[in-house]
Parts: sequence; structure tokens; C-alpha cells
Amino acid sequence: MTLLILRRFIGFILTLLAISAAVFFVMNVLPGDPAMVILGIDSTDDARAALREQLGLNAPVIWRYFQWLGDAVQGDFGTSYSFRVPVAGLIAERLPMTLALAGLATGLTVVLALVLGVYAATHHGRAGDWAVMAFSQLGIAIPAFWLSMLLVILFAVTLRWLPPGGFPGWDDPVAALRALILPATALALVQSAVLARVTRSAMLEVMRQTYVRTATATGLSPARVMWRHALPNALVPIVTIIGMQVANLVTGTIVIENVFYLPGLGRLVFQAISNRDLITVQAMVTLFAAIVVTANFIVDLAYLWIDPRLRSRQ
Amino acid sequence: MRPPANLIVGSTLVALVLGTAALSLVWSPHDATRIVVAMKFQPPSWTHPLGTDQLGRDVVSQLMVGARNSMAIALIAVLLGGSIGTALGLLAAAAGGWIEEAVMRLADFSFAFPALLFAIMLAAVFGPSLTNAVIAIAFINIPVFARVARASAAQVWTRGYVLAAQSAGRGRLAITQDHVIPNVLAPVTVQLTIEFAVGILAEAALSFLGLGVQPPTPSWGRMLSDAQTLLYLAPQLAIWPGLCIMVAVLGFNLLGDGLRDVGDPMLRRRR
Amino acid sequence: MLAVSGLSVTFDAGQALRDASMTLARGERLGIAGESGSGKTLLGLSLLGMAPEAASVTGSVVFDGQHVVGAAERDLRALRGQRIAMVFQEPLSALNPLRRIGDLIAEPLRLHRGMGRAAAMDRAAALLDEVGLPDPVSRLRQFPHEMSGGQRQRVTIALALACDPDLLIADEPTTALDVQVAALILALLRDLSERRRMALILISHDLRAIARVTDRLAIMYGGDLVEQGPTAQVLGMPRHPYTRGLIAARPILSATRDRSAPLPTIPGTVPALSALPPGCRFAGRCPVELPHCRTTRPTGNPACHREGA
Repeated sequence: MTLLILRRFIGFILTLLAISAAVFFVMNVLPGDPAMVILGIDSTDDARAALREQLGLNAPVIWRYFQWLGDAVQGDFGTSYSFRVPVAGLIAERLPMTLALAGLATGLTVVLALVLGVYAATHHGRAGDWAVMAFSQLGIAIPAFWLSMLLVILFAVTLRWLPPGGFPGWDDPVAALRALILPATALALVQSAVLARVTRSAMLEVMRQTYVRTATATGLSPARVMWRHALPNALVPIVTIIGMQVANLVTGTIVIENVFYLPGLGRLVFQAISNRDLITVQAMVTLFAAIVVTANFIVDLAYLWIDPRLRSRQ
Repeated sequence: MRPPANLIVGSTLVALVLGTAALSLVWSPHDATRIVVAMKFQPPSWTHPLGTDQLGRDVVSQLMVGARNSMAIALIAVLLGGSIGTALGLLAAAAGGWIEEAVMRLADFSFAFPALLFAIMLAAVFGPSLTNAVIAIAFINIPVFARVARASAAQVWTRGYVLAAQSAGRGRLAITQDHVIPNVLAPVTVQLTIEFAVGILAEAALSFLGLGVQPPTPSWGRMLSDAQTLLYLAPQLAIWPGLCIMVAVLGFNLLGDGLRDVGDPMLRRRR
Repeated sequence: MLAVSGLSVTFDAGQALRDASMTLARGERLGIAGESGSGKTLLGLSLLGMAPEAASVTGSVVFDGQHVVGAAERDLRALRGQRIAMVFQEPLSALNPLRRIGDLIAEPLRLHRGMGRAAAMDRAAALLDEVGLPDPVSRLRQFPHEMSGGQRQRVTIALALACDPDLLIADEPTTALDVQVAALILALLRDLSERRRMALILISHDLRAIARVTDRLAIMYGGDLVEQGPTAQVLGMPRHPYTRGLIAARPILSATRDRSAPLPTIPGTVPALSALPPGCRFAGRCPVELPHCRTTRPTGNPACHREGA
């Protein structure tokens, strides 16, 4: 099994490298002249030449790529052109916010999806099942940012229970939590729609297996049979979908941060776009893509932990 | 044999949305981009069934033209990405060996880049524009269709009559045309409807964030982005565009599910 | 010990088990034979109150004074595993693939008997030894997929025996195994029944297996119990036309048998659940059918208008 993990790990590293190369290519080679992009069309030739000198854009592309990669691995993502501070610092500032939002949303998603999915499977064919399926269909079709607005209209504008956006800082944990509830809920509702469906069908599949009967025949309670024998076996497809959802989570977090004016990585990337701050955008896109790939790698490892049968295969 | 419920509901919704989009090409109650500041925030009336927005523009007309734009973008992007992806998938299945491996690895790799990330990159470099949005959406469809096409095609390549054709000397291109494509058509079509739904959502998100359709062109996503600043003033403006997006996406999803059920009776029992 | 009376299981599509009645004494070994769809598995499940949710169960099943049909879930749980245990056909899926063998067997021990982990593991090892698994202690940490089919079947039996049940129901325990292994498992079942004075119900379509293990035999067809009696008698002097046909159809390895003659079969097929006739369900295939067989249900043992007692 160690060999298996090693192979996966090497694949993971290679993918990360490929991502960094792809992003670098799009942002440095495609536009032709990054200096033109940063300074705009009205800039003078001299100004652009000076910028090129300053940013080291005259060196050959491959050299620049390895330079950037080498620095990035050590934690140096360059200096933001518009903010005039190291990009790494900018990211470090905003990261806790984004992690908190993503974490809270994921927690809510998993709990909601598992509960709904198991419920639908155990009430298969009856009203509860249809209700969950309907919820799932709607959840898949609803844009997260629209749902956010609806939640804001209900809870902030009409009821005035929660703030419509912004973040008061971490000093007051209660206020901080209140600011995160609506954004996390909007994300969670949309994400759990797909996951609930997958949970339900995976559970239905598992519940037909003989070992579920064996467990019942041994005198175990229905709850125990469901949660300790059935669900663990349903986890493989569920975890697969969670892995696939990470890309959606990253996208969703970026969008939601912009809807709720939360000072996280999502807002940062948009500020960078408006400022034509290629360096920052490059670092952040690489980071986001790396997160997606890493999550999938962790999912691959999780399979090995969940299902012992996979440990000895090639 | 009675068609499944989701097929009926799905095609109705899709027809509704596409019909509205098509209609907007020739007629709409008002000019969607006409600004009459004096008429802002009008409540629903006979002349303006859903009222007017913050610049006095008719909401219904905006929704109709928005429908047309959203559909067109989603359609173009998905068809573009879909055709490239399907071609790659067919190529991979026909060629086999390292080509197939390479194409699949590339597809897996592309999954790390959601449409939004790609659009962000393009927007930073080239500035936000409609074209960038289309390219971004098309780009993420390529690996999806490559996978679907390859999986279906690979199955066909293992079948007896294909092996027979090969030993009779038929070239791979000919086999692909005669045998593979007809069998791949069904899953690809189902995937198309599902990806349309995804495409509509993606376009809405991109336009909402300012990375897609640019003002003054109406789009559902952009209408929502405008409405967001007015949530306390005019919450009703936020409802309609979102509802339209949801209906369109729901329609395509149900249609895709319905098509899949019809095409594979075995699957139908498992729901 | 066990009394079944008028047990019927009905689905929307039809009545899969009709008015079954039988008894079982302590330590007795009963075989239930029939083809697929005869209702034998349903009968076994019903004894544990495990008929599918969609089915409606009527009649009575009384085990040691306790009613099973219509009993509360909690009472049924007290029965299952502890008084009555069931072992299922083993196509790799009767054991939870994610759990180690030791954990699986220890679970009912810890839940029903309140044993601590170490004590439960010891007992699990003892059980594995009892069912004939060599090197039981190392087995405790193995996963089901690391064992052969025969070994897994022994594990399911060990699991069933964990809380010393009075009755073990084995539903087609050897169907997925090859012949030699099957023979060993059957011998094991008989052995366990004798040693533990534990009643055994062997559900199978394999008459030879039943002959080897059981004292009494019940034949089922299309949801009806058509004949019951001592095994040797039912197999040696079958009275119901279906039983006769079944026995005649068995391939016999014999030097004297005429190999060129075709194997006798029963013409026709088992009727579908939704198309079961109201009378004798063997009607339409029976070589000695009477006109009223299809419409009037025969009772008695054997359940036959012509041969009935």
C-alpha cells in the first residue's frame, strides 16, 4: 500500500507543477506583453519598457517560469503591483476568512446531505423521499448568489435578524459568526442538494446488500445497522462526489464573498482583476487550482482508508 | 408508453424559455435598454407587467432579452466545447494506447480549473468581456464531453461487429463514422442538455460578477448584480431574474434526466 | 418450541406465501426444499420478523411462547441473534466488507451480552475455532475479502452462533460454494446442531444436502407447503405429484442407469407471483390433475386433492 500512496503522491506533485505551468502560460505568454496589460493602452513605450525592466519581463519565458516557481515554493509570490506589498502577505491576511467560510459551509453541507440522504433512503418511495428529491432538484437549479439575496431579503431586510453583509472582525466571535451564517447557509444549501442525492442512491444500493440483512438478523437496532454498517459502505461514492464538489466550493466561496462583501480571498482576486494586477491574480488562481487538486488527492487517500479492499490492489 | 414526468415537465420549461428567447428577437413589450429615469421603480401595471427597474427600464423586456442572451451564450459555449470534447473523446477511443492515456490525463487535469477560475485569468489578462466568458465556459466543457464520448466509444470498440469490421480491413475513421458515432449520440445528447443547464448557471454567475456580459446588454446575471445594490430599496427586482435562471436550469436538468430515463429503461427502475 | 400456523405473506403483486403451518421441536433438524420463488426464503425471514417492509404478514408464528407476527420491533430484536439466528447465502456480500472479522463477531456479544472488548474477542476466537477455522486468533484481524468462500461461510455461522441461539436458520448456505466445501459446511451444521442441541432449519433446493442433514422435510411450491414428513419417508416414498416429479428429475450417477434416456423433467414453469391460481398452484403442470384442482385449494398433508390424507 505504501507503494500505492507513493505513486499517487508523485502524480499529485506532477499535477501541481502542470497547473503552475498552465497558469503561468496563460497569464504571461498569452497576452503578449504583460506590461501593456498592467499599464493600459494609453501608456507610453518608455513606461512599458521601464516596467518590463522592473518586473524582469525581458528574460526568456522558461527562465521566468522557474524563477517564479522557485520563489513560490519558498512562499514568495511576488509583490502585488497595485497594493505594493508582498502577495503572500495579502493572501495570509485573507485566508482565515475564506477558510472559515468554506469550513463552515462544508460542515453544514455534509451534515445536511447525510441526514437528508439517509432519511430519503430509509423512507424510499414515501412522502419523505419525494420531498428530499424535490429539494435536491431545486437546489441544483438555484444559483447560489440568488439564494443569498433571497436569504438577505428575508433575514436581513425583512426580519432584521442577521447582517446583510460585511465582516466585523474576529474580536467578537458571536458577531463574526452572525456575519457568516447567511453566506455559509447559502453555500451549504446549494452544495448539499447534489450530495443528498448521491447519499440517497448510494444508501439504497447498499441497503440491498446481504450484509445489511445479516446485521439485522444479529439483532442490531435499525439505527445501528444504518449508521454503522450501511453508511460506511456508501461512503465511497459519497466521498467521490465531495471531491468533485471542491471545485464548486472554491467557485462558490469566491462568488459568495463578493455577494456578502466578506474580506476573503474571493474579494481579493476581484480587486486584483480591476487593478490589472497580474502578479496577484496569477498567484491566487494557482492557489485555488492547487486547493482543488489537493482536495482530490486527499479524497484518493481517503478511499484507501475507507475501503480496505482497495489497499492491496494496483 | 407514457413518457416519464421529468421529460414532460422539462421539455415544457425548456420550450417556454427558448420560445421567449426566440420571441425577443422580433418583439418585446418595450425596448429593453431604453432608460426613462422618471419612470423608475414603477410597480407592476398593464404597460409594465413586472414594473420597472432603477433606470426606468421595463423588467419584462429585460428578462426576455436576457433570456435570449443567456441562452445564446450557453448554447454557443457548450456546443463549442462539446464538439471539441467529443471529437477528442472519439479520437482517444479510436487511437487507444498512449494517445488515449494522454487525452484522459489532460481531461483529468482540466477539472482543476472551474469555469470561474479560467474566466478570472482571462479577465485579468484581456479584460472582462462576453467573449472571455464564452471561451471559459467552452473550455470546461471540453473535458466533460471528452470523458463521456470516450467512455461510450470505448464500449463500442470492444463489440463483436467492430472487431469484425476491423479484421475485414475497415479503417478506424470509417468505423468511427459508421458504428461509434450512432452509439455515442445518445449519451452525448443527454450530456448536452445537462451542460446547457450548467452553462446557463455559469454564464449567470460570470455576468453577476462582471466577468461576462457587459452593460448595457441585458442579462439575467447582470440584472441580479444591479438588484443586489438595491435590496433594501427594491427587493422585488432581485426576484424575477433569479427565478428565470432557476426555471431554465431546472427545465434543462429535468429534460436531461428524462432523456436519460427514456434511453435506458434499466436505469429507470433504480430511481 | 416453534409453531407456525396459517402464515401468509402478501405483496401487491400477489401472495408469495400461503397459509403455511409447521412445527419444530427443540434440537430438531428440518429441511425446507423448493425452487426459487417457492416462498422458502420468505418463510425463513418471517420467523425472525424480517419479511420485507412492502409485504403484509398474517397468521401466527410462536417461538417459545413469544409471538413473532405483529410483535414490536424491540421484542423482535431480543429474539434475533439471541434466540433465533439466520445465515444467508454467501456471494461475498453477507459480511460487511469494511469491518474485520473479530469486530463483526464481537458486536452482538458486546451489545447483547455486555462483554468487554477483550472478552468478546476471546469468545470470537473460540467461536471461529468451533466452526472449524484453523488459526482462529489471526483470523480476527482479517477482512472478509481476504478469505475464501468456504471460510467466509464458516464466519457467518460463527456470527450466528455468538449468543447461543436455540434455532439456526440456514438459507441456501452452500449454493455459492463448490461441492467439497459445501459438504464440509453441511457436516458442520449438523454437527453444531447435535452438539449444542440447537434446532436447525435448512432451506435449500438441493435435496441431497437436505437428505444428509435433516430429520424432517417440508416441500414448498409456489408459496404453498405441499408435503411434510420425515426426510427419509418424503424422499423415499413421495406422495405429492410435485415431490415425485422433483425426485424423478434428480440426475443419478449410476452405472446401471440408461444414459441415453433423457432426464425426466416437470413440464411448464412456476407461475408468476401475479398469476397464481386460487386453487392448487401446481395445477397446469400436474400429471394427475383433477378438474377442480385449479379452483379449490387442497389442504392436508400432502396438500393434494388426489393423494391427500
